Amino acid sequence: MSHAEAIQSTHHTAGLRLNRLHKSFKGDEVLHDINLDVEAGEFVVFVGPSGCGKSTLLRLIAGLEETTAGDIFIGDDDVTERDPSDRGIAMVFQTYALYPHMSVADNMGFGLRAARHPKQEIADKVNEAAQILHLTDLLQRRPSQLSGGQRQRVAIGRAIVRDPDVFLFDEPLSNLDAELRVEMRLEIARLHRQLGNTMIYVTHDQTEAMTLASRIVVLRAGCIEQVGTPADLYSDPDNVFVAGFIGSPAMNFFDAELVENGRLRLGEHTIAGPRLDNPPSAGTGVTLGIRPVHLQPVQGDVAGLQFRVEFIEYLGDNSCLHGALDNGARCRIEAPRGIAIRLGETLLVSAEVADMRLFDQQEQRLR
Amino acid sequence: MQTSTRQGGVTAPTARGGRIRGHRVLFHITAVLVTLIFLAPIFWVVMASFRPAAVSLQPPLPPWPSDGVGVTFDNYSRLGDYGASVLHYTANSAFVAVGTALLTIVVSLLAGYGFSRYRFPFRSVVFVLILATIMIPFQSILTPLFLLLAKMGLQNTLTGLVFIYATLQLPFSVFMMKNAFDSVPKEIEEAARIDGMKGVRMLARVMMPLVTPGIVTVGLFAFLNAWNEFLAALVLLTDQSKFTLPVLMTAVRYGRYGSVDWGAVQAGVTIMMIPCLILFLILQRSYIRGLTAGAVK
Repeated sequence: MSHAEAIQSTHHTAGLRLNRLHKSFKGDEVLHDINLDVEAGEFVVFVGPSGCGKSTLLRLIAGLEETTAGDIFIGDDDVTERDPSDRGIAMVFQTYALYPHMSVADNMGFGLRAARHPKQEIADKVNEAAQILHLTDLLQRRPSQLSGGQRQRVAIGRAIVRDPDVFLFDEPLSNLDAELRVEMRLEIARLHRQLGNTMIYVTHDQTEAMTLASRIVVLRAGCIEQVGTPADLYSDPDNVFVAGFIGSPAMNFFDAELVENGRLRLGEHTIAGPRLDNPPSAGTGVTLGIRPVHLQPVQGDVAGLQFRVEFIEYLGDNSCLHGALDNGARCRIEAPRGIAIRLGETLLVSAEVADMRLFDQQEQRLR
Repeated sequence: MQTSTRQGGVTAPTARGGRIRGHRVLFHITAVLVTLIFLAPIFWVVMASFRPAAVSLQPPLPPWPSDGVGVTFDNYSRLGDYGASVLHYTANSAFVAVGTALLTIVVSLLAGYGFSRYRFPFRSVVFVLILATIMIPFQSILTPLFLLLAKMGLQNTLTGLVFIYATLQLPFSVFMMKNAFDSVPKEIEEAARIDGMKGVRMLARVMMPLVTPGIVTVGLFAFLNAWNEFLAALVLLTDQSKFTLPVLMTAVRYGRYGSVDWGAVQAGVTIMMIPCLILFLILQRSYIRGLTAGAVK
């Protein structure tokens, strides 16, 4: 811990502000009017499907791509026109991007050597970072002599040594195997707690986003869909896209129709719907979203939906049942262990009203 | 339980892999034969260079010194006595070959980096044009080259020869270096940009170590081609003291009274081979990596 404190005492962390950011490649706009405020010390994760512009956004912040329009502030400084090395950032790449011809120590100290810092200072900083990341025994090795996880730790070490205001991570765990990914995820979370720097992290893996982030930014097709804490996004999504993207297995969506008294009609069934502050008129078509974990088999004479089991994924503590409702809508439910379920069986399933989310025809949330 | 996960059973497992397979034997025999065919002329030349002048005109079988005359170094001493000593001509050749290699490396390094990493108008057209010049046989442009050198006052100079060789070597070299730079991942360059590297420092401290195999290949090719080149050197060099080794070889061939001094030629060829062999053996590891760089991701 003392090393972390030593580093912490010397560095100042800063927030990040993106103001009306646009990016086009050859007239093709890939980022549309991005506005975002990141407070100092926050861990913000950009998440979205591939091609949504999350990596491009990170590269704009890093200065590896030129901004088409808009401003980027780090702390109070407008860095939009600055070189990557003058922005107070450090970046960790998916492919590690270590210098293969240098030892681990040289890799980590390269930025400081390029800036002509005194040798002793460089050695001290490299040693501190190596101790934080348990790399001390590997300092003289070449990257080719390291495992994937070790290489990624060196890449993170190189970032720490630069002592940046903002850490940028571009899908840093995608090249690691599943077990190592979980381990490194914890390590990065621990690092954030230790160093307290602002961190921006790009991933397409919503589990990674949920576990690491203090706030998540969900992007789609170059636009921010929603910004919020993991809990916010999970329980209070703004639209169908966020509701479907966050949470695993993904939320079920059913076409429904509002009827009087806030009730919903799905096919032949009518069930109680969530209470809305400004309910649309009866007869309006809506989309009903319920997470698989909230749809549960029920017994006896209760209002519910008929669900026919077509496929069972056994997951240990629970099972994921794939199938369809009697009106043909595809549906998944997560059934707890201990309920005997056979293929082809029809179950009566139901959900709490509080766990239902309604969306309008434009896929926006109805509250 | 019938299935045991730990013990294979009571009987020993079937032994594998001890057999000599027919196709492997055939493979080795073929390889040895091909090697012998490739080595035979070299062996012949080296052996013949030790034959005395008296037997050098006899049928070249067996190639080694026979007829009870034994090994002689006459051929080498005759070669050494020709003109300004063989060392002088070796130095000429070395100057031309090393000069060509260095000039080619510097220019193709910069050009390859530019073509691989910078965007500029007509980039691909210019690149294709450079490659297209490989298709022009250089013998056909020897006259214009000679006139050009004469205009620059570089005719009959080793420096002029270096320029010509480097020019001829460049299309292939630029192509090689572009490939070498292409195979360096962009992320490494981006990481270096974040670490504060730009322009020439980026090239020298980050990129150059990563394209070393390409540099070695380009340098080796340039060196060997310049070392062995004959026609341009023959046409462009008129002063005997400027001769390179290949030109010297034709000069020493003419012995007394119109006879052909094969012994001296064999000795010269043997000497010429030595630097090439040494260079190639030292650099072959990087050289092979260079040729295949970027071929497989």
